[in-house]
Amino acid sequence: MAKYILRRLGFMALTMLLVSIAIFTISELAPGDVARHILGQFATPEQVELMRNQMGLNQPVYVRYVDWLVGNDWRLNGLVGKPLKQYKATTFGDLNWWAAEPDGTLKQWKVKKGVGLVEVRVTPGGEPEEIPFDGWQVDENGEEVFWGVDTASHVVLWRRSSTEQKVGPASAGRAMTEASGERYYPIRKGLLRGDPGISQRTNKPVAPTLARRLRNSFTLAGIAFLIIMPLALLFGILAGLQEGSRMDRVISVLSLITTSVPEFASGVFLILVFAFWLKLLPGAAVYASDIAPWKDPKLLILPVLTLTLVEIGYVTRMTRASMIEVMNAPYIRTAYLKGLPYWRIVFKHAVRNALMAPITVIMLHVNWLVGGIVVVESVFGYPGLGLYLLDSALFKDINAIEAGAMVMVALAVGTQLIADILYTFLNPRIRYT
Amino acid sequence: MQQSHKPQTPILDVRDLAISYETRYGDVPAVRDVSFDIQRGEAHSIVGESGCGKSTVAFGIVNFLGRNGRIVNGQILFQGQDLVGRSPEELRQVRGDRIAMVYQDPMQALNPSMRIGDQMAEVLVVHRMMPRARALDYCVTMLKRVQMPDPENVIRRYPHQLSGGQQQRVVIGMALLNDPALLIMDEPTTALDVTVEATVLDLISTLQREFDTAIMYISHNLGVVARVSSKVAVMYAGEIVERAAVSDVYLSPYHPYTQGLMRCVPRLGQSKRESFLYPIRGRVPSPKNLPPGCIFEPRCDYARDLCRQRRPELRPIKLGHWGRCHFAEEIVQMGWQPPEDFVAQYTAERSVDAAARPLLKVTHAQTFYPVASQKLIGGKKQFVRAVDDVSIEVRKGETLGIVGESGCGKSTLVKTIVGMEKPTSGDFEFMGFDIAMPVSKRKLELIQELQMVFQNPDSTLNPSFSVGYQIGRPLRRFQTVPRGQVEGEVMRLLDMMKLGGRYYNRLPRQLSGGEKQRVGIARAIAGRPEVVLCDEPVSALDVSVQAAVLNLLLEIQKEIDTTMIFIAHDLSVVRFFCDNIAVMYLGQIAEIGPAEAIYAPPYHPYTEALLSAVPIPDPRAEQKHIRLEGAVPSALNPPSGCRFHTRCPRKIGKICETETPPWRDAGNGHRIFCHIPLAELRQMDPVVTVRPGNRLGRQHA
Amino acid sequence: MTMDAQTASDRKRNMRRLSPTELKRPKESLRDRMSIILRSRVAIIGLVIVLFWVWVAIFAPVISVHDPLAQDATAINQGPSAQYLLGTDALGRDVLARLAYGSRTILMLAPLSVLAAVIVGTFLGLVGGYFGGLVDEIVMRILDAIMAFPTILLYLIIIAAIGPSAINVVIAITFVGAPGVARLVRSLALDIRVRDYIRAAELRGESPWYIMFFEILPNARGPLIIDSMLRVGYAIFAIGTLGFLGLGLPPPTPDWGGMISAARKYIWTNPLSVLWPALAISSLVVGLNLFADGLREESTRYQ
Repeated sequence: MAKYILRRLGFMALTMLLVSIAIFTISELAPGDVARHILGQFATPEQVELMRNQMGLNQPVYVRYVDWLVGNDWRLNGLVGKPLKQYKATTFGDLNWWAAEPDGTLKQWKVKKGVGLVEVRVTPGGEPEEIPFDGWQVDENGEEVFWGVDTASHVVLWRRSSTEQKVGPASAGRAMTEASGERYYPIRKGLLRGDPGISQRTNKPVAPTLARRLRNSFTLAGIAFLIIMPLALLFGILAGLQEGSRMDRVISVLSLITTSVPEFASGVFLILVFAFWLKLLPGAAVYASDIAPWKDPKLLILPVLTLTLVEIGYVTRMTRASMIEVMNAPYIRTAYLKGLPYWRIVFKHAVRNALMAPITVIMLHVNWLVGGIVVVESVFGYPGLGLYLLDSALFKDINAIEAGAMVMVALAVGTQLIADILYTFLNPRIRYT
Repeated sequence: MQQSHKPQTPILDVRDLAISYETRYGDVPAVRDVSFDIQRGEAHSIVGESGCGKSTVAFGIVNFLGRNGRIVNGQILFQGQDLVGRSPEELRQVRGDRIAMVYQDPMQALNPSMRIGDQMAEVLVVHRMMPRARALDYCVTMLKRVQMPDPENVIRRYPHQLSGGQQQRVVIGMALLNDPALLIMDEPTTALDVTVEATVLDLISTLQREFDTAIMYISHNLGVVARVSSKVAVMYAGEIVERAAVSDVYLSPYHPYTQGLMRCVPRLGQSKRESFLYPIRGRVPSPKNLPPGCIFEPRCDYARDLCRQRRPELRPIKLGHWGRCHFAEEIVQMGWQPPEDFVAQYTAERSVDAAARPLLKVTHAQTFYPVASQKLIGGKKQFVRAVDDVSIEVRKGETLGIVGESGCGKSTLVKTIVGMEKPTSGDFEFMGFDIAMPVSKRKLELIQELQMVFQNPDSTLNPSFSVGYQIGRPLRRFQTVPRGQVEGEVMRLLDMMKLGGRYYNRLPRQLSGGEKQRVGIARAIAGRPEVVLCDEPVSALDVSVQAAVLNLLLEIQKEIDTTMIFIAHDLSVVRFFCDNIAVMYLGQIAEIGPAEAIYAPPYHPYTEALLSAVPIPDPRAEQKHIRLEGAVPSALNPPSGCRFHTRCPRKIGKICETETPPWRDAGNGHRIFCHIPLAELRQMDPVVTVRPGNRLGRQHA
Repeated sequence: MTMDAQTASDRKRNMRRLSPTELKRPKESLRDRMSIILRSRVAIIGLVIVLFWVWVAIFAPVISVHDPLAQDATAINQGPSAQYLLGTDALGRDVLARLAYGSRTILMLAPLSVLAAVIVGTFLGLVGGYFGGLVDEIVMRILDAIMAFPTILLYLIIIAAIGPSAINVVIAITFVGAPGVARLVRSLALDIRVRDYIRAAELRGESPWYIMFFEILPNARGPLIIDSMLRVGYAIFAIGTLGFLGLGLPPPTPDWGGMISAARKYIWTNPLSVLWPALAISSLVVGLNLFADGLREESTRYQ
């Protein structure tokens, strides 16, 4: 058993690796230039080129993949000649990369208009201060150059001659680093180390947003799941017990109808009925920033209901089909011929066997549930992972898409693993062989 | 329907029972006018072909007719009280307590996710209000009584952890827990191998004596019925046509159907040279469309006007012998003559040139299947040694039979010969060509010469294509006849199969099992192959159909001089049909030789055990009582030395475990793979002896 | 892929020419099938709904007096009126006309994408199921990997990568649907390939392609047809969802999902313009599923 789980975990890791390559490749190779997309229609080719340079897009794909997956700070250390460290210098600033001196002081460099390169220095706990820079090194061509870290987490190659010219920022709308360096390497910690990078849409690190959104989606899906499972299993069993009866027909048709209505349509119906006409509930789930969704449960009711409607029918139908199959099995006939009371046959013999199939199928259904979440969140403006992913996709925010996709696939694959293990556990025929 | 010479109330007394099923075509009367009774301690059989309604009667008694079945007439008196019309709750209390039932396929009958002990104990918990712990103790005792090895352990196991024979013991034990007055057994041994069947049948007889239970035994197998029961009712198309003591029914049947049935079955020890099988013509009427008079009239050789007009009653013909025939007494007087053309058709003796070069020669064949290793990485690769060192030769015009229990490797051997499995090693020579390769690598001309007839009539034909197309396909592929003549050739083949041209456009689902099998045979011989391999071609068919298909195969042998390899598990059929026989056990041949030599001493001990296990449909036959212990060992890791030594009742010592046995040559091509010296083997008694006596309607050549 | 299907159907045509009696089926079979449909009341209701929408799609120009793209600046976000039977949207376009033309879009794209998915999936499933071994292993691993993705994520990624357009929607749905078809066909093929008639075909030395397309595929058609019908329902569902999420047909094409998405902003002022397309897509998917499911129930019940 342990061996089996271990093997499955190994397969899961392999799957995730392949998936990460696939996601990375698809989103990187997607037509349309990201830099152009961010800068807009009116950027000059030079600006686009500079942007690509700063985003590290000029490196080969495999290098970018490895950087994305496991980070590159350990590799870029060598260029700067000092270890790179993440540090949050000001209360409202972001976590940034700094070059660390042996004595613990952290350094960044930036180009000041008219001055040239200056050094930003901070000791942990202290305020950052700017001091003049004099660390130029002479390269093989006799020019003065310097490898350092800029204030937006790139390792940059500066050339003294160009830092002292005046060069405009690459983008007006974006809080942009000085476009003065010659080569840029964005520093990343890597997805595996918990850093999916910076969102190009919000210009903020993806990870914290993602975590918050994931929590919200879990809340939504979790509540829906808790409502769906007992009801669906009950309805499914009731319908399956008496195939063809009036109860069965009503349950079957109703469950078919609820699964057939798309979430955006049923969401609209619910909003119209409960929010517009009855005025009982709010029609959208817009939260003040960062507030946990359960703090305002009224907003959750309609999204949960929409999700429930779509999924409950599916689970009911699976359970029903399985129950019908079991009730026709020869061992149920044996139980009947043993003279067991009807409810004993149902509960001791039928239900356990009947639930085996749906539980695994339901777990596999998580892929559909995810789809439902994206739509429901979009209908109600609910700040969950699905909406985040949708917005990122529409914006082509590659870092966010990739991270969000990986999280979703991990969830899906993980659930399938759990389903398989659960199935082996429930089924003695597999457990004892 | 009370029997006058037995004063006590019968345990079960069924009177005029009629059961109908509601279908989309309207009510279908599945069972009509069924009456019989079973006394305390009596084993009463109901025998009949598939679809005759024998199981419906049983399910009617236990009130398990499903949503669309219902009893439309009659009474079911159980211990004097009528079960018909009682409330479901009352019937539930009777079921599993006073009436228990065992049926086919024990694996399916047990709940796969419940431990054996729990499944058994709940019968006691529900009906006897016994506490669970005591119930479990009692279950262990019961398992001991049904001769289950290691019962304390078995109750903690799940069904899939037991062998088929053990599962059936569990089911039987479960049925007997409450000491029922009536035990209904519906084909309880049909899914089992013949040696396992023999031990289960022994067990049933023992238990019947010990528990003094009335047993209603349902079977299609005349041999099994003869072994377990004292009385038998023969059912045909939903009615009982004859009912009497077993010896009366088997030796002097009154009803033309019963007589026909007896003439269909090959008897163990008889061959095609000395006897015939006479199939019953026509087919069973559909219950939707019954003839107005006697139900057997359309197929009866003695039918008269009265038979067409009036339905006969089941009437006592002599004491304790009932028959449903207007003219039973006359028919018995008249005797029976086979149709004139019939004898001529099948008698022509064929000669096999024993000196000729073998058409097919297999030497030291091995076919192994790799098994996935259980280990995560590495681990030694294991093999199922399905066929391990087998050598056979088949000459032109000869029929070689291969017998053995399931898993003995007979099917694998044939699959390797036709190229559906890759041989691991050995020489395969056919018509002088090497055929040790899969079929995809063989030349089309060679493929054409080796064709096959399959076992399962329901899967032998592609459901999507018409009969004519499927027979025509090999004709086109092998270009047996010019393109324009394909249709004519198909018609000719259909005629040869006694089907006729109107079958040309039919789809398989419009055919009966026997007809499908005929089409399968036609397809196999369409390309005029040298060798036809028949993989249990008749084992899924009812006896009357089986006889017709066997006759058809005999005709083909004669007319186009086809060489055949015939696999079967039924020793009577193989003996009847084949010239030479190979007995296989666990991937090896135990004994090979001319058919008559296999069925007479000297025997291989395994052959001897097999023969003594076969149920013989003749109450006069006496068999030696040899039962094999344990189960067939795994072919993954077969026993050393002689593979049969773990179960051999004649094991002579250490040598059997350590050394591969020698081939003992008994002359005339009869060879036995055994350590026991030939002289000793020759001294064995014959397994089957039949007390002399005249057999009605059976002709000897 | 399509090439193989092509040659296969060519071969079928050739065979027909050889003998006209060969592939003839008894008439009874068709009547059987009709009676199955008529027996299930649920299936009939579903069929009526579907036929209604097919009718709307065919007669869209007759039903709608207005051009679905014409904007009427004087009538923006109006409720039903004599001029605009179902009202207008935020750009002053006739909702009825957009609904009618929208049914054309969806009833063209959905079956098309399902057909493509069925062709691709059937081919992969047959190849994997019949050949088995390494071929099967590779095909199935890839399909499993695709199926491990949440469906919506696949749509998002594909559409984000190749951009929203009618053909890309079809490509996305084909890509997402084909693995499911392949799995179904494979499981059917695995079941069928051990039947004796397949062995008989192998023993005639038939080519693997003949066996796959002529011996196996015809016997898998029943479940495959019912599955395809259910898939058309899913496809409509998916096309609607993509449209709603802004990943479907680019505006101003009339598209039900897009209509809902656009009108949703004005739900408080013009609720009916959201309701109509929501009702339309719901009824169509419900109708299709009722029909397919009723058919499946009836055809399995009497086997």
